[in-house]
Amino acid sequence: MRLFENIHIDWLGKRKIFYAVSAIMFLIGVVNVALRGFQFGIDFKGGSEIVLQFDNAVDIAQVRNYVENIGLGSIEIKTFGGETGVMVRTELQNIPADIYPRVVNNIETAVHDIYPGIPLRVVDSTESSITYELPNADTTNSLVSKLFAQGYQTGKVSEEPDNRQMVVNVGIAEWVKENLKTKMADNPFKVIKEDHVGPKVGKELKQDAVVAIIFSLIAILVYLAFRFKFIFAFGAVLALFHDVLITLGLYAALYGVIPGLNLEIDLTVVAAFLTLVGYSVNDTVIVFDRVRENMKIHKTMPLFDLLNMSINRTMSRTILTGGTTLMATIVLLIFGGEVLRAFSFTLFFGVIIGTYSSIFVASALVLEYASKSKKKVQF
Amino acid sequence: MKEFRFTIIIILAAIGLSLYLLYPTYKNYKNEQGISKILDKRSEEITKSNPDISKDDLSKELRLVEDSIKAANPSFTTTKTKAVKLGLDLQGGMRVVLEVNTGKLLEKIAKNPDDTFKQVISEAEKEAAITDESVVDIFARIMSQRGVRLSRYYGSIRDDDSKIISELKTDADDAVTRAMEIIRNRVDQYGVSEPSIQRQGSRRVVVELPGVAREEEAKQLLQGTALLEFKLVKDPQFTLSVMNKIDKVLAAKNAGGDSTITADTTAQDSTKQLSQEEFEKQHPFYTMAMIDPNGKFADAYVKEDQKDKLKILLSSPDVQAVIPNNVEFDFSAKPIGKQDGKDIFMLYCVNKAPELTGGVITNARATIDPNTSSAIVEMEMNSEGATDWARITGANVNKRMAIILDGAVYSAPNINGKISGGRSQIEGMANMEEAKLLEIVLKAGALPAPVKIIEERSVGPSLGQDSIYAGLKSTIIGFLFVALFMILYYQKAGTVASAALIFTVLFILGILAGFNATLTLPGIAGIILTIGMAVDANVLIYERIREELETGKTMKASVDSGFSKANSAIIDSNITTFLTGIILYQFGSGPVQGFALTLMIGIGASLFSALVIARLVFNIMVTKGMKITIG
Repeated sequence: MRLFENIHIDWLGKRKIFYAVSAIMFLIGVVNVALRGFQFGIDFKGGSEIVLQFDNAVDIAQVRNYVENIGLGSIEIKTFGGETGVMVRTELQNIPADIYPRVVNNIETAVHDIYPGIPLRVVDSTESSITYELPNADTTNSLVSKLFAQGYQTGKVSEEPDNRQMVVNVGIAEWVKENLKTKMADNPFKVIKEDHVGPKVGKELKQDAVVAIIFSLIAILVYLAFRFKFIFAFGAVLALFHDVLITLGLYAALYGVIPGLNLEIDLTVVAAFLTLVGYSVNDTVIVFDRVRENMKIHKTMPLFDLLNMSINRTMSRTILTGGTTLMATIVLLIFGGEVLRAFSFTLFFGVIIGTYSSIFVASALVLEYASKSKKKVQF
Repeated sequence: MKEFRFTIIIILAAIGLSLYLLYPTYKNYKNEQGISKILDKRSEEITKSNPDISKDDLSKELRLVEDSIKAANPSFTTTKTKAVKLGLDLQGGMRVVLEVNTGKLLEKIAKNPDDTFKQVISEAEKEAAITDESVVDIFARIMSQRGVRLSRYYGSIRDDDSKIISELKTDADDAVTRAMEIIRNRVDQYGVSEPSIQRQGSRRVVVELPGVAREEEAKQLLQGTALLEFKLVKDPQFTLSVMNKIDKVLAAKNAGGDSTITADTTAQDSTKQLSQEEFEKQHPFYTMAMIDPNGKFADAYVKEDQKDKLKILLSSPDVQAVIPNNVEFDFSAKPIGKQDGKDIFMLYCVNKAPELTGGVITNARATIDPNTSSAIVEMEMNSEGATDWARITGANVNKRMAIILDGAVYSAPNINGKISGGRSQIEGMANMEEAKLLEIVLKAGALPAPVKIIEERSVGPSLGQDSIYAGLKSTIIGFLFVALFMILYYQKAGTVASAALIFTVLFILGILAGFNATLTLPGIAGIILTIGMAVDANVLIYERIREELETGKTMKASVDSGFSKANSAIIDSNITTFLTGIILYQFGSGPVQGFALTLMIGIGASLFSALVIARLVFNIMVTKGMKITIG
């Protein structure tokens, strides 16, 4: 079987069309980024996320209704995987001040259910925990384990034998679980995933991600400049920017548009972008490698024709290598599961746009640069 | 064929090595299947005979069964260590990043924290949350802005600020070490298999606990102050008499109630008369906890695989009934040696009531004794503690004092004489490392190491299972799609490429196993992606060969120049991906690193398959004059 055999298309003559196509895609991205912004996952935003797996199918609107009433403000609720999975997420780090008394009240009710009338003295209360002092060590120990068995996160303040203080955590996740447990008693759930990211960690991860992407672009620029002439390296890296920016724009544009596709930028998505940076330059390298070879053979041919000829001759392999990789990403997208969906989507779209740019954009950029500088391009 | 001999040997060696490295993974899978079958059956039996059993007790029972299976087959454990490790996202578990709460530490070690102090601390903490500056620096800066000297709260009155700042920084640093040791100790005792506790940067500790389902409980392990106690070790006669009683209770239990053992046999003389099997039956306790018959002490030696079992037995009600209620058994925190490749722990019988707790310790320092040039630890106590210490040591000369942190014995030195003045010297450490550890432990009981959780990720085992399944399915489907396409498009040459693809996957897995690397879900994605990218090299070569054939060259010449001319494009395009793989590995953590790793290994493996294996097959086919179709 042969595809694209002996094609003689004047790609560069039509480059204005592709500039327009790229510019439109780019603009759509920019507008969406400006208007809608990016949706970051909790890796970068910080916050809490729990994924619950219910025993029976669950009505997401009902869960949303329950959770919205527990005073945590706007909480994000989504399905996860099938119809029994629910993801609950909030950017809040701690229980808000106005809910705090309710949470504490719940704890104290639970304590009094176990030991009616036991005197409780609050010795310390922070945003995420409350510490009680109890009359004696034995009740403290038994209360710690009894409350723990009920799902509260309790602990002794010290392991000293005469310790009378008990600390109870009042985190977001605990509060959500506790409420759903009572409100949805007929459909029990278990927690299959729980993430909590502090605000500082989120900020650091964001910085690291940006640095990593910039570093990889520089590394590729340096490597290509070393292997090819600078102008080709420059063209290739510009094409890379083109790929990354358009894919990023798509993220902003498509967020929440396709049902079941959760396009949030998290750590794995950054990994996908970095892979994209490394991979989408491949096809460009193949074209430029052929340009270099043809330059040696056809010494007098103008750059315009040289580039066209090289693109045409390498067309089949550009499409094929992109195609097989695309196959792998489609499989991942369909069968890879919920956790990898956004990752696979980034690669899927990135490979398409990468193949497009190495055919239509990278060489055109080299040509523009060469005609501007009016120098003869050599290897 | 002679000219290919060398290449063939290399390829066969690579395949052989990969298979050899992967064999333990397969074996481990089989072992675990076997174990889980037994456990399922056993759990059914238990629930049938005792329907009211709590989930907790059931899992305890099952763990016991699992331990005994593993103890009976030591190869299970060695196989497991050689198998490809699964990341937390695949096997379930939790990863927690802790940061030492410097603000709290400063508050706790300050001499007389007044209102100004508390204000400044909370200000400093708020600022530290948004900048990279350390809490100590911010704290010192605000204090100096307010014109308050640090010596008001720390050190002595003559110390200048810079000296105090550097001391506080050391304290904050030490707190991380202390926190790590406390956590390690607790995690060891909790019985998590293969925990990982690592320091990250200057103030952070990363704890990974695979397979922990009860995350709340695990989280508790990581926080809270540690308890250091000094407890007297019981003398050998007493200890042996208690152990004999325990032994009898267990033996009676073994014999199912109608005990045939004569009551007056003691452990010592029965060893000589009984065969191994009989001994195990009649003296179950001494089988697990071995006593050195010629030793000065009655401390028992326990193999690591028996430790959990013994712990559960010791806490069972009928054994508890024969242990006097003022003593308890505690294990050593660290193994004291190895036997048959297994770590050996010590079991001590100590007084239940501590003589002193760690709060009285003011300082501890590992150092070298100038006289004997061996490692020692110097310990200082406050005046209150010193008085008690002098009385306690005076009354117990030539007895041993166990130093116990959160229930684990770190050292049990002999009391050589009455120690007055509160300065003690602990000898008998094998090296400086051991002495340093004891220093940390002694300080852990006195100084706080407040930590807070700044990142936490946990994955339940069921989600992990689903992910493994999804990953496997995608790998197989991805492989079939790509292989089918290659065969359709390039016919015989495509078949060669598809076969080489199998080896690529084999090599990736083999290298992962060989390097003891961890496979994560993104790692599996990396393998699938590699399958798609690996054939790129084949495509480049085949397209080139087609071109060469078009110019009228022979098959042999076309294959040769096809391979050599495609080389530069293949190398260039793969190196760029490899470069981003390296950066990704640096940037990422856990799962993402797993992806970067498989991506990089995949590139290496696919290049080998395309440039060495596929080429060899082509060369052989050409020399044998076989017909090669390339579509």
